[in-house]
Amino acid sequence: MMILQAVADTARTYRDFPVIGSRAAVWITAEIHLMFAAFVLGVPIFAVVAEGIGIFGKDQRYDRLSKEFTRLLLIAYSATAIWGALLVFMLSTLYQPLWAYLTRIFGPSMWLYAALFLFESFTLYLYYYGWDRWKYGRSKIVHWCLGILLNIWGTIVMFIADSWLTYMMTPPRDITPETSPATIKIWHAIMNHTWMPINIHRLIGNVVFGGAIVGAYASYRFLAARTEEERAHYDWMGYVGNFIAMSALIVLPFAGYWLGREIYQYDQSMGITMMGGFMSWLWVIQAFLIAVLFLTGNYYLWVGMGRIPGSERYRPYTKWLLVVLVIGALVWGTPHTMIADSRELAAMGGSHHPLLGALGVMSAKNTAVNLMILATFLSFLLYRRANIRQVVPWAQTGTRIQGAMFVIAAAIVLFFGIRGYFVEAIVRIGYSVYQVGAVLACIIFVTILDVLMARGAQSLGAIQWGKMPPRSQYALFILAVTFTWLMGLMGFARSGIRQHWHIWQVMQDTTPYAATPALGYAAIMISTCVLIFLSLVGFIFWLGGLAEKSTFVPSTVEAPHVGH
Amino acid sequence: MRAYLKHPFWQAVGLFVAAFLVVEFVIPALPGSAVVPKSVVLQYMATVLVGILIWVSDDEARWTTFKEPLHDVLIQPRLKVVRTVLLAVVTLMVGCLTYSQVKASVAAPPNLRSIHPAPPSQITFRGKTITLVGLENPLRKQGDIAAHIAEGHRIYYQNCVPCHGDHLDGQGHFASGFNPLPANFQDNGTIAQLTESFVFWRIAKGGPGLPREGTPWNSAMPAWEEFLTEDEIWSVVLFLYDQTGWKPRTWEVSAEGSK
Amino acid sequence: MWAINLRILGVVLGTLALYTLIANKIPQVQSEVPHALSLGANVTPEQLATAGDQLYHGAGGCTACHGLGTRAPNLLTDEKGQGPIGSRCGKREAGKDCKAYIYESLTSPKAYVVQGYEPIMPEMGRILSPQQIWALVAFLESNGGTVDVSATDIPAAPAASAAGSPAAASASAGIAGGSADPMTIIRGAGCTGCHTVNGEGGKIGPDLTHVGARLSANLIRESILLPDAKTAKGYEKFKGVMPKTFGHQLTGEQLEALVQFLASHK
Repeated sequence: MMILQAVADTARTYRDFPVIGSRAAVWITAEIHLMFAAFVLGVPIFAVVAEGIGIFGKDQRYDRLSKEFTRLLLIAYSATAIWGALLVFMLSTLYQPLWAYLTRIFGPSMWLYAALFLFESFTLYLYYYGWDRWKYGRSKIVHWCLGILLNIWGTIVMFIADSWLTYMMTPPRDITPETSPATIKIWHAIMNHTWMPINIHRLIGNVVFGGAIVGAYASYRFLAARTEEERAHYDWMGYVGNFIAMSALIVLPFAGYWLGREIYQYDQSMGITMMGGFMSWLWVIQAFLIAVLFLTGNYYLWVGMGRIPGSERYRPYTKWLLVVLVIGALVWGTPHTMIADSRELAAMGGSHHPLLGALGVMSAKNTAVNLMILATFLSFLLYRRANIRQVVPWAQTGTRIQGAMFVIAAAIVLFFGIRGYFVEAIVRIGYSVYQVGAVLACIIFVTILDVLMARGAQSLGAIQWGKMPPRSQYALFILAVTFTWLMGLMGFARSGIRQHWHIWQVMQDTTPYAATPALGYAAIMISTCVLIFLSLVGFIFWLGGLAEKSTFVPSTVEAPHVGH
Repeated sequence: MRAYLKHPFWQAVGLFVAAFLVVEFVIPALPGSAVVPKSVVLQYMATVLVGILIWVSDDEARWTTFKEPLHDVLIQPRLKVVRTVLLAVVTLMVGCLTYSQVKASVAAPPNLRSIHPAPPSQITFRGKTITLVGLENPLRKQGDIAAHIAEGHRIYYQNCVPCHGDHLDGQGHFASGFNPLPANFQDNGTIAQLTESFVFWRIAKGGPGLPREGTPWNSAMPAWEEFLTEDEIWSVVLFLYDQTGWKPRTWEVSAEGSK
Repeated sequence: MWAINLRILGVVLGTLALYTLIANKIPQVQSEVPHALSLGANVTPEQLATAGDQLYHGAGGCTACHGLGTRAPNLLTDEKGQGPIGSRCGKREAGKDCKAYIYESLTSPKAYVVQGYEPIMPEMGRILSPQQIWALVAFLESNGGTVDVSATDIPAAPAASAAGSPAAASASAGIAGGSADPMTIIRGAGCTGCHTVNGEGGKIGPDLTHVGARLSANLIRESILLPDAKTAKGYEKFKGVMPKTFGHQLTGEQLEALVQFLASHK
């Protein structure tokens, strides 16, 4: 009996991981698992969409694109599973107390998770290997439904895993350190404050991430391409990847805003730790990364206009968009509390700059980022229009209406941004909803108008896919690295606000690694994770290339625009 | 001269220099402004540089013209002098930069100080536990508000005025002796952004009660719970908001309505 | 092909390096685990010693003098052939066992100064909480001796403030649990060890029963905070006996209560 007790006691203790320590080991494993998971969850979403476009738009190119996406998935999928298994192994040995606690509550859902994972992998195999078999007629629709099923499995799997980690962040209020995990109802634990916000945030984030990685893949293949056809195909694929990433990115702040709001509602001090406490500088870094994303994404589009006949008409405008973006990035990146030495502090009368400090608050930043979104959207619009001349009789009026919409949206954003300085905080928070609402409404209505106006438009010449300078492809790489890094950073923020708690105010982390590290250390960890992930992805893509090299069939279809 | 003005390379250089002059000299010269900290200048200039590089390289023709002078300097025999000078200058600049980075200096290193550190959810005030989350100023609901403000006025002038100043702007007689400077309540970044319970916490616990990110060893703010009663602190809080005209941040009504 | 691969690698590594550099360039703040040294009833000697170890090398600031040259005796290593502190502590002062000796050395270091050293050590009771003091005792005992500090030695922790600011919490605790009753403070602070108040107490210091008739409130306050500034007539030989620590031990409220109480005793 004594021995049994002793065994039970030692089984409930922490262990250390050699050399790098437990925290670093779990950090790396979890982050890489998440990156792969995000990839294998995001890519099927637009693979299915692309296949759908292929089926209903009768465009073979999209079908091939979709198949190529899926081929990338296949190996990435096993990598996800391997890293997931590693993570479970690490958690259950290194962080035994936490793991035991979580399994007591979430045991049944973990079994379901494993089962769904199996279903998902079989569906994926069927989906990929059945591609050529069920290529025509009704069986193609069945095949497409398989893809949808794949997404359903994947989404449920993610929702289940999210419930575990959101429980760690925001356990329901009635659970205290004394509550026995055996008495906690599983559904009660799943339905915690941040579960749904994280689900949605990740769903969109995965699409962004998948698009960015696909873009990097395409750009690599573009740079390595030997024939003109290949180059044209991968140029197009890179454009599609970038398009997906950027357009999903525009809605992501909405989901993030919801998540942040839920965190504030759950625990004010957790929210302040996140936004204003020791993590406040993390948001300045995030702002920097987002500015990089906006600038690089637009840069890619502008360089891409060089291959579109007729784009010269719009070239003069892009430099004003650039001015808006750069000013936006300057405002967006201005810190409220500035790093300054004592002389500068004395001159400023505190660590807020008397003039520029006004740019550091939420009103200014929301205004800047919304204008940057508008500018990016306008870039896309100009890009879309570059090689066509509208023929509908109301084209000129339509363009004027579109212009008016932009002006109105920008005016609303500016109005609420400036007014935000003169109202109290609670009202000001509400303003960001109006600002984003105006921008989204503008995007939706302008797009609808644009699609209508482009009906039967006269082409000024096909896009010369493949005629892209290499530097644009490196921009795609920067985008992919930045997205991945940003994901690691936000993961650190989400996990770090728990501080020294495994489960917020329920179960304390008593390991030597309980302290939440400073940003510098976190950045090194994130860079390590990104590097490992990208190396593995590079290897996987290389493997994919090995199998496919001989089967490349040049496309004979004229390349139209995405979204026509 | 005109050729230079039209050349993208020299335009880029000109833009960059102009942006630097604006950040370094024009912004501080504006009314009510002050010197821009080095870290922010660096950040602004990096952003501007990226913007300029994007502008010169997003068009194939412009990019080619832009590179011409650089290319010429590197290979043209007639530009040998320029090349040599440039090499020397670049080397010197790297050297000077390295030197200035590693040079020991008497100034304290700039440090990160969170102005609004995360407040605890509850504090112990003279042995009594006060829950800060969702807490409103109790004096707003009891007694005569004008009397409370008058009381806060008296207490402010007895205790706070030496540092926080006559105008509540952090410019008291002792203010120049402190780093960090006393809080400026007139600024829209201090009490205007905070709930009354946060202000109460800061007054009651002062510098010693700051969490780590607020670098407690810097703040000279005393822990006023030693000297003032709970109601006295609340009345000072009332006075601060009344005098500056700011409205305290209110608590968000939670979905359950139970906060 | 290799040139392209290398260029891609360069772009990726360069981007990563830039982000890492920026994140490292800003001032670094780590979120520490708050040191809620809550030593419950079932605290083990090992836990105490570990906590004491951290204090010794950290917040306690002990290593500023001990173990560095000649300002203070070595504690963790051999001192003049007597071994580390744990093995010599029981032999220092007659009638004091190891635990009592170390506790005294921490709380009133001037009571016994080891020969050859100046009385420069601050009273650690002003800086550290009782729990922290006992953790330090346990840690010092563990160096060369056996730990005999147990949970019964440690006074119950005052309700820890959730602020994670032990300094504020301990400073506001005051004497006698922060009581505002003057007689409780007088007894709790040990005033009656020397002074007589209302016929209760010793004869070393002046009788305080009618002190209000002799001294104003301000002078009483000064006498409590700076006992040696003015000495009452006839007590010159006791100058320096009264502790100078009351200003740190009393809360502001307690001090005022005490001063008003004494001043009203005319």
